[in-house]
Parts: sequence; structure tokens; C-alpha cells
Amino acid sequence: MSTSVIQTRDPALDPGIQDPILKIENLSLWYGEKRALHDISLQIPEKQITAFIGPSGCGKSTLLRCINRLNDLIDGVRTEGDIRFGDASVYDPRLDINALRKRIGMVFQKSNPFPKSIYENVAYGPRIQGTNRKRDLDEIVERSLRRAALWDEVKDRLNDSALGLSGGQQQRLCIARAIAVEPEVILLDEPCSALDPIATARIEELMQDLKSQYTQVIVTHNMQQASRVSDYTAFLYLGELIEYGSTEKVFINPMKKQTEDYITGRFG
Amino acid sequence: MSSTPRSRLLADRAARWIVSAGGLAIIFSILGILVFILVEVWPLTYNARVEAAKVVPLPGSPAGALLADEHRTLVAALGADGRVRVVRTSDGGVVAARDLLAGDTAPGGLTATSVPPGNRLLTGATRDGRVLIAPVEFGVTFAGQDRVVTPEIEEVVALPVDPEGRPLRAWSAQLDEEGNATAAGVIADGRLIVVRRSTTENMMTGETTETVSRFERQVPQSVTVLVLDSAQRNLYAGTAAGEILWWPLSDGELDAVRASSAGHSAVTALDLLIGDRSLVIGQENGDLSVWFPTEQSDGGDRLTRVRDFPRQPGAVREIAPSHRNKGFLALGDRGWFGLYYSTSHRTLWTGRSPLANGAGLVYTPKGDGAYLSGEGAGEGKLAAVDIYNPHPEVTWKSLFGRVWYEGADRPEHVWQSTGGTDDFEPKLSLTPLLVGTLKGTIYSLLLAIPLGVFGAMYTSQFMHPTYKRYLKPLVEIMASLPSVVLGFLAGLWLAPRIEDAMPALVLMAVLLPLLVLLAGYAWSRLPRAFRNRFPLGTEAILFVFVLALGIWICFALSWPFEKVAFGGNFQQWLLAATGLPYDQRNAVVVGLAMGFAVIPIIFAIAEDAFSNVPSNLVAGSLALGADRWQTVTRVVLPTASPGIFSAIMVGFGRAVGETMIVLMATGNTPIMDWNPFNGFRTLSANIAVEIPEAPHGETLYRTLFLAALLLFIMTFLVNTVAELVRQRLRERFSQL
Repeated sequence: MSTSVIQTRDPALDPGIQDPILKIENLSLWYGEKRALHDISLQIPEKQITAFIGPSGCGKSTLLRCINRLNDLIDGVRTEGDIRFGDASVYDPRLDINALRKRIGMVFQKSNPFPKSIYENVAYGPRIQGTNRKRDLDEIVERSLRRAALWDEVKDRLNDSALGLSGGQQQRLCIARAIAVEPEVILLDEPCSALDPIATARIEELMQDLKSQYTQVIVTHNMQQASRVSDYTAFLYLGELIEYGSTEKVFINPMKKQTEDYITGRFG
Repeated sequence: MSSTPRSRLLADRAARWIVSAGGLAIIFSILGILVFILVEVWPLTYNARVEAAKVVPLPGSPAGALLADEHRTLVAALGADGRVRVVRTSDGGVVAARDLLAGDTAPGGLTATSVPPGNRLLTGATRDGRVLIAPVEFGVTFAGQDRVVTPEIEEVVALPVDPEGRPLRAWSAQLDEEGNATAAGVIADGRLIVVRRSTTENMMTGETTETVSRFERQVPQSVTVLVLDSAQRNLYAGTAAGEILWWPLSDGELDAVRASSAGHSAVTALDLLIGDRSLVIGQENGDLSVWFPTEQSDGGDRLTRVRDFPRQPGAVREIAPSHRNKGFLALGDRGWFGLYYSTSHRTLWTGRSPLANGAGLVYTPKGDGAYLSGEGAGEGKLAAVDIYNPHPEVTWKSLFGRVWYEGADRPEHVWQSTGGTDDFEPKLSLTPLLVGTLKGTIYSLLLAIPLGVFGAMYTSQFMHPTYKRYLKPLVEIMASLPSVVLGFLAGLWLAPRIEDAMPALVLMAVLLPLLVLLAGYAWSRLPRAFRNRFPLGTEAILFVFVLALGIWICFALSWPFEKVAFGGNFQQWLLAATGLPYDQRNAVVVGLAMGFAVIPIIFAIAEDAFSNVPSNLVAGSLALGADRWQTVTRVVLPTASPGIFSAIMVGFGRAVGETMIVLMATGNTPIMDWNPFNGFRTLSANIAVEIPEAPHGETLYRTLFLAALLLFIMTFLVNTVAELVRQRLRERFSQL
């Protein structure tokens, strides 16, 4: 079992998660000369919502993007350590990154529907995976939109441009697009930062609905949101993991002073 | 403190004014160019004007033969009384006179008079079957500032056509500068008699000897008109049955007759246009048509009816060809009078003759007027007509359609603006130039679009950023090369090398893409662990080696390949196998050179379009498990496609307007074909080649400006479309 983890066990950093789906192990990351992540280890539970919180520039989005290796797109990024996803290493040189990304979906801070129809946006992932039969695609599109609680709003205009949707609808479309490829994990990078409170509430509601099927990792600025939606919360500061535990514990009874200062609004 | 906002306000306002003024200045200068071009082109659309100017008395009996001097000061007229009178056009005063029948015992004057083609002879036929030829010259001298035109009626040549002294029914005569004269006449019994007087000068003694020869031929039809060309080599006749007969002459001897029918109406007037190739035929029923010899399928020439002008209300009586172009005047019964142009097939003007019974007609040498002689109120009259006819040779059809030029077998598109002689027929079809422009553009875009667009796609989406930093300035250097350098290199360095390396080039077109595909496949079969060791975008280095190897292989195989595939000589094989000639400076060379010039433009705009696709779309696609190629083809390319279109349009505009490269790298022959191994001439190169030689204000000059206008419109449209598309793209990006 994970004996090495038990040895270095720090109650502020290890809530003792059973059978984690993702294990981040001593992960460090440099942008060129600048070190953005310091030796981070944390375990992400399956079919739970984990929130990364912290002030701007603390590395929470960087950490999130390490999980699906989207940081590879940035020139001059170097990582050390590992992320284990199931039995495999995310940083294994033999890994098919595209297959990894199919299993770990992502929703971005700014909704980014493709300049295509609503239908084509959702069908994009399945098409990439080689599903081309109209009937199959229709079914996937409907199922995904229903799960993203968008179906009733768009079912009559599936062939309209996705750019005509409202911000909240666009973000839910992006969630539908992500779940259309049946991922195991969904990474949400500040999904509500550009949305109004009602749209935010709908996304949060949706996240709860999706919990039964998907592991979700959310990066958020909004501590209320983290406390509302997440089961586990990790607090990062200046590229270091300060505290990680069940949301209830982190918010009500933080073990570190920095965490308390941050969540009570003394800095950030 | 308060002064800071104020000075800022001022600076702000000044900056706005300067920027607006600059922008307006650009718009106005472009409009100015457009207006200037339009002003130069517009006169092409002017219609001809013909206005009766002045009628002066012309003494003596009505004159059927008239000659005018270049400055329209004098007119020489030969009347039925046998007298040549030279009169002032200003008041009809007789300046000089000569009696051609002086010393004749036979009474009765002349049966008819005429001016044969060439416009320097007055001829008349006597009642006793002779033909008299009187050359008239107008000498110009200057007395102080005043121009003095002196008429000179030279020695009259008389040729007896009918030895039995009977009057001639129809006749024509010519006299050349050496004194060789030919007269042809038809006498009452239907015999055609040709008399030729040739003079030879003995080089040693200076003595001239005259020999007179005579040929006869029975003509079945009743001949109404005869015309002899000024070289005395062709005799044409029109008959009462509407037949046109043509006898080529060799030393005065008649060849076999070649007959063509012009319908049943009698031929009443016959004349040759300048150059003596086109025959204008006027008929009893008012038909007016232009004919010239064309080669037939059996190899012989026959007169062909090439153009018909609208039928006139009365029989055609007189035709007066222009001395400087393919225009002519015609005069007919019931007082109609018209101005025509053969090449452009234009009826420039028709109206009423200033004299009711016109007998003689002459078109002035400069084409700015005409004189008619006739009778009015019981006495001889000479009427002056002013003609304003600036650009008769241009119509939409002659500029863009097929025109049947003299000597051609069929109507065709030809650009040949000048020739060696004055009687040359200018051929101003812009179609070959448009085709040439499109040909050059298409061949260069064939190279530039794939390289520019795919290069931009690769650079923006796949290439490692480190290389990108070096590549973009490199492409900018490519764009900054002066096109004259490119043209020079293409014409003098590249063209001969391509001629030698053609088989290698053909080989490359096939082998290189195959090799790259093969290398790509091989790369994808390598273990992922090995491939992942290279940062994204560095694989390209491998392909540089593959391409270099491919090019080396192609050159190495060039000679064996040429031997096997093209029998040892590509150019000969091309001609034998496809019938296409190989020109050293051809469309392939231009395609390479102009493609080189267009690539950076397409590349720059396309790269912008690709790079401006928001990175979160790319990230979104990758996060869904799409690979980079899928992301580029399914998300980036569709999103950037208006920008790509715009890049291609701007590249097209650049290629259309490019001058120096096509000027130097093609043979500039205005031919119309799409053979990649042949040259062409573009609108722009044509302007560059011909404008220094085009006389200001003449048709060629204005036609070149029309070509400029076409170029302006083409590039303006293309660039406007490109810009509109780009703006739409910008809007679209702002939504994403």
C-alpha cells in the first residue's frame, strides 16, 4: 500500500483518503527559471469534489493543468515529481497524452465553445474519438446536454451557433462537451468567475448532480463556492500546499494560521 | 496644474487632425489616380463627329477625282474636261492647272475619272480607249513663319488600253515611283485588257528603256468596276451580277481568276483600304462590306466577306479610304454619306452629304476632314467636311472579343499594337493580356498558396517557438526583396537552370510529397517514448533532412529519368508528345519567382489569422482528447478560414499587379494559352513595355490607360473583398 505516504504523513496535508483516483506525488514545476509549484503531494478522492483555493498566483490553476498535462503547451515548462492516475503515471513518456485527456476532461475559466453549432460542440469530442454515426451522436448529444441541465433550453436550436448562448449557458455547454466523451475526472478551472450569481448557482447545482458519476476538481477564487460545493479543499499559497483536508475541517477548523487568515479574509 | 490637461487636449486634437489629414490625403491621392486614369481613358468612348464646313466653287466640269494636301489648304481635282485644277480650299481660287488632253486631236474630254488606291494619282479614261495617269505631289516650304504648299502635277503617263480606240467600260491604272505603270480596262465586247509599261534604267549609261506589254482575257460577266492595287500585283473587279473577281498579276500577266459572290446586287464601288489588303465593296442595293483574302483549306487564298456594314438607302457610289488607318468614307445615292471603320466594325457616323449630287470624294491625309465635289446651282462645287474621329479602332468587342484581322484565317484575340509600316492594322485586344495576367497569377498562386498557407499553419500551430522566432524575420526579408532583383534572377539565372533541370523538377513534384508522407508515417511508427523525447515542433528538423535528401535524389536521378521517361530530351519530348513548345522564360519560371514574392504576403496574413485563433479554443479542443492535427483541422482552420481567404486574396492582388518579375522572366509574348512551358504577357508588363512608345493621346496610349484601369479595378476589388472578410473575422474573434 502507500507506505511511503504514511511515513511522511502530516495531518494538515493528508486527510487519509481511501483509494484516491489521482495521486500527486512531490510535484514541482518551473516556468523557465521561476519555480511555480513546490513539492506538492495530495490525493484526490474518486467521485468527490475537490477544491483548490488560494490567492492569485498561488499555482492552483497550474497544478490543475498538470493533471491533464495542458501545461505542455507552454514553452519552457519543466516538471519534477509525478501524478499517478489509476495505475499509470501521467508523466510516463510512453503515455498517449490524447487518451489521457479524453479520460480527464476540463472546463475553462472563460467559456470557450467552438464557433460551431451547439450540436457540433457537444459532438466534437465523440467525433474525435471516432463516433460518426448520426444516431449515436444524437444520443450522446442529448444525454450530455440533459446531464448538463441544458437540454430543455437548447433542444429546439441545436443547430444554432453556440456563440449565441448566454455566458452561463455557454459554460454549461462546455461542461456538456466535456462529459460527452465520458471522462473519469472533470477539471474545472474557475468555471464561474465570469458568471452572474444565478448562473453560478446553476453550475454549482450541476456539479452536485454530476458527483455521482465523475470526480471533479475545481479551482476557485470564491471561498463560499469552495465551501458550498466541495468535499475536500486544498489551500495553496506561493506554490506550496499549505493545508489539505475535508472542506468542513479546512473552513471550520483550519490547522494552519495562513489558512485561517486567508479564509477569514485577512489577505488574498 | 491646470495647464497639463489643456496641453494634453491640444496634443490629442493635433494628433487626431494629423492622422485624419494623412488618411484623407491617402484616400484623395488614390481617388486622384483613379480620376486621372479615367480622364485618360474616357475619350475612347467619344463618338465621331462629321460636320459640313464650307462650300466653295470648283470651276470646270464636275470632278470625279480629288486629292487633298496634308494641311487641307489645296485640293487637286480632275474634271471630265480633262483638266487638273488645284484650288485653294479657302476660297476656290485656282492655284495651278494643267490640261491632260493638251495637244489631243480627238475631241470630247474624259469618259470618267478616279483616284486609284495609294492616294497620289489622278486618273482618267479618254473616249479613244486610253488611260491617263497624273501624279500630284504637294510640296511644303516655309516662307518665314508661313507654310506654303506648292502643288506639283508631274508628267502625265498615257497608256493605250484598247488599240482600236474604243471607250472603256471600266478601268483602273497605277503608276509607281520608278515609272512602272499598269492600266486595266474592259472594253465593250467583254475583253479585259491589261497594259503594263515597265521602265528599266541602264546603270552604265543612265538611259531608260521602256517596254510595253499587253495581256487579254475574256471576262464572261459584265464588269462594272475595276481596281488595281498600288503595287500593281492584284486586280479586282466587281460585276453587274454582284460577283467579285480577283486576278493576281505577275509582271502584268493575269493569273487565273478567283471569283466570289457578294449577292445579286451589282457592285457599284470598289476600293482598297490602306495596306491594299482589305477590299471595300459597295453595291447597288446599298450594301457595304469589307473583304480580304483568307487561306482556304485547299491552301489557296480566296476573298472572304469579313464584315458587313448596315445597308444604306441608296447605291454606293464613292468610297474614300483613309490614308492613315482602316477607316473609310462612303457616299451614295439619295445623298447619304457615312464614316466607317473596318477593324472595329464600326459605323462611326452616317448622315446627309453636303452636296446633293456628289461626284468625287477624298478623305484628307490626316483624317481630319473630307472634300466632296459635285454640282450645285448649275456650277461645280467643292464642299469641305470636318471630321473629328479620335479613336475609331476601339469598341468593347475589339478590346475583348475576337476580331477578324487582315490576313488572319478567322477572328481571334490579338494584341499587336504597332507594326513596321504605316498601313499596319493595330490589334488592341486586351483579352490575351488578361489571360496572361491570370496565367501568371494562377501559376504563382499554385506555388504560393500551399506553401504560404501551410507554412503559416505549421509555424503558428506546430512549430517550436524557438524556431518561430527566427523564421518570421526570415520570411519578412523574403518580402522585402525588390521584385526587379527577383525578376532578374528568374530571367537570367533561374530560367536556364530550370530548362536543364526540368526532369528533376517533374520528379520532385512526385517524389517529395511521397517522401514526406513516408517519413511522417515512419515517424509515427517509432516508439512513443522515443518521440516524446523531442519537444513539440522540433520534429521539423528531421523533415528538413528528408527534403534535402529528396532534392538530392531528384537531381541525381534527373538524367537517367530524362533518358527513360523523356527519351533523353524533355523539350523535344514535350513537343513530340503534346505538341507544346518549350520556351525558356515560361510560366513555371514566373510561378517560382512570383510565387517567391507572394509567399511572404500570404504567409504573414495567414499566420496572423492562425495565431489570432484564441488559445482557449485550442486548449478546449486538446482537453477533449483531440490531437494537434485534429485541433488544427477541426477548430483552428475553420475559425481562421476567412483570414486564409483574405490572405489568398491579397496574394492574388499582389500577383495581378506585379510587373517587374513577369516583365523580366517571361518573353512578353501576348499569346493566349495555358501551357506552363510557354511565356505570356500581363497587363502590367504590357503597360511597362509599351507606354514609353505610345504617342500621347493616341488610341494605344488610352488603351494602355484602360489596361491600367482594369488592373486598378481588379486589385481594388480583390483587396476590398479581402479587407471586408478580414473585418468580419476580427468581429468573430472578438466574440470568442
